[in-house]
Amino acid sequence: MSRITGAFATAIARVWHRFEPPGQDMEALAEMLAPMDDAGEALSSKLHFDMEPSDFALGLEAHAKDTP
Amino acid sequence: MSDALASLTLCETADRIANGELSAVAVTESAIFRAQAAQSDLNTFISLEGERALEAARSVDVRIASGQSCGPLAGVPLAHKDMFYREGEVTTCGSKIRKDFVADRTSTVLARLEAAGALYLGGLNMSEFAVGPFGTNVHFGNCRNPWDLARTPGGSSSGSGAAVSARIVYGALGSDTGGSIRIPATMCGVVGIKPTQGRVSRYGLMPLSYSFDTSGPLTRTVRDAARILDVIAGHDPNDPTSSRRPAPRCEAACDEAARAGGRGLTIGIPTSYFYDDLEPDVARALEEVQKTLREAGATLRPVEVPNHDEINLVWAAALAAEAATIHRRWLRERPDDYGPMVRRRIEFGLYQPATRYIEALSLRDSILADYCATAFADCDVLLTPSSPMAAPELSSVDVGDSEDMPRLVLLVSRATRPVSYLGLPAMSVPCGFTGAGLPMGMQLVGRPFAEATLCQLGHAYQLATRWHETSPPHAPADE
Repeated sequence: MSRITGAFATAIARVWHRFEPPGQDMEALAEMLAPMDDAGEALSSKLHFDMEPSDFALGLEAHAKDTP
Repeated sequence: MSDALASLTLCETADRIANGELSAVAVTESAIFRAQAAQSDLNTFISLEGERALEAARSVDVRIASGQSCGPLAGVPLAHKDMFYREGEVTTCGSKIRKDFVADRTSTVLARLEAAGALYLGGLNMSEFAVGPFGTNVHFGNCRNPWDLARTPGGSSSGSGAAVSARIVYGALGSDTGGSIRIPATMCGVVGIKPTQGRVSRYGLMPLSYSFDTSGPLTRTVRDAARILDVIAGHDPNDPTSSRRPAPRCEAACDEAARAGGRGLTIGIPTSYFYDDLEPDVARALEEVQKTLREAGATLRPVEVPNHDEINLVWAAALAAEAATIHRRWLRERPDDYGPMVRRRIEFGLYQPATRYIEALSLRDSILADYCATAFADCDVLLTPSSPMAAPELSSVDVGDSEDMPRLVLLVSRATRPVSYLGLPAMSVPCGFTGAGLPMGMQLVGRPFAEATLCQLGHAYQLATRWHETSPPHAPADE
């Protein structure tokens, strides 16, 4: 399976963000990004069609108990 | 007299000023002296505004002498993490990029504190742009821990933790996006409350992450923190994301603790994750906490919690995506004006797909629902460590953007991050000292908007213990 690499991150910086990563070790950056990507992929299977970010504020209110 | 001033709590000080027993000017002069005396050792302040605070103190004394009501914090000197905007004043955000930034608005929390009579002594040191759990700052110098100058005070609200711990000020605001109040609170031996997402207005607070930013108090006692939270919480029309629920009555909950202790409250002890890989001293302290809370009348029971490892990483990706959106222009134009660690952590966000970011936010509600249905099914509060470790040495954590940086950040914020992702309220309370004399903290986590419950339990614990009464060795001597 493909993984994030330094070259991939460099391309994103150049193409999407129009800047040259300033003298960094992009392979090290890719190593740091990979676990985030894996975790996101693992959790993404739990996403359902109707979910959206604004559900969260309602959820906080719904799960509150009456407190002093 | 001066020693007595430094040792008073915020509530004791406010109450004695209100009844004319103390003058606000004397209290403020004493705090200014301590701030100046400690600066070379602790580096807590970015800006000290003593004259302004004294002028406000004189006004408080005049109003009290004339019988006017001045608010629950009247005459009490506070200082805050230097990221709460005050119109027309510089707010550095701990950064080189904003070192001359003049705010165009006053944050709602500062306005509410001022309306309650609190005095503003100055802006406190912090991690640059509130990024970093160790409080390191390449621009303003590292803030140091009053318990051991070689150690970090924790971050990102480093100055807030250190200034309160060293008895310089009676309370301070910090911000918490993934642990930035709770980590310095535990490492400096003070109380820190991260409120429920939306409980406290974010208007006029430097943004790091729209979805996870919160602000709250750091103080020596739970009752002190409760009084501040009662003042700053509640809906704000300037922040449409703030909750419309009535403000909590946290100080009243402390009164309830004085009557009932922890009776009627059930505390869940997570059987996984939070208690993994603790330093032995922290593990022992948490065992003692359980005994104390049981003796205070609370019921304790083991609870299962969902796996947090993935949540932590998804939180980091979403936070970075928001931070990178805020900082993208400066990352391109002024990359060398960031500290290496801060720039690297923000840059993570440039490489997150939009779909991944939206997934992370969309899943929050269902993960919260799972959490409330499992971890909180039969308990009111979860008891965890605030951090698996006491304060490490600055030399071991000031690692810039090295490959070891993500591991260290993840380790120290292991217990706080998932709570931020879930938007839940949490409080760190001092719970003992290591063999080396460093403070440790417990974290109480509540259901949404249960800040008052946390205050009841935290205050009940402090009524039964004396950890919060010990002054650190590097607190400044009074004049």
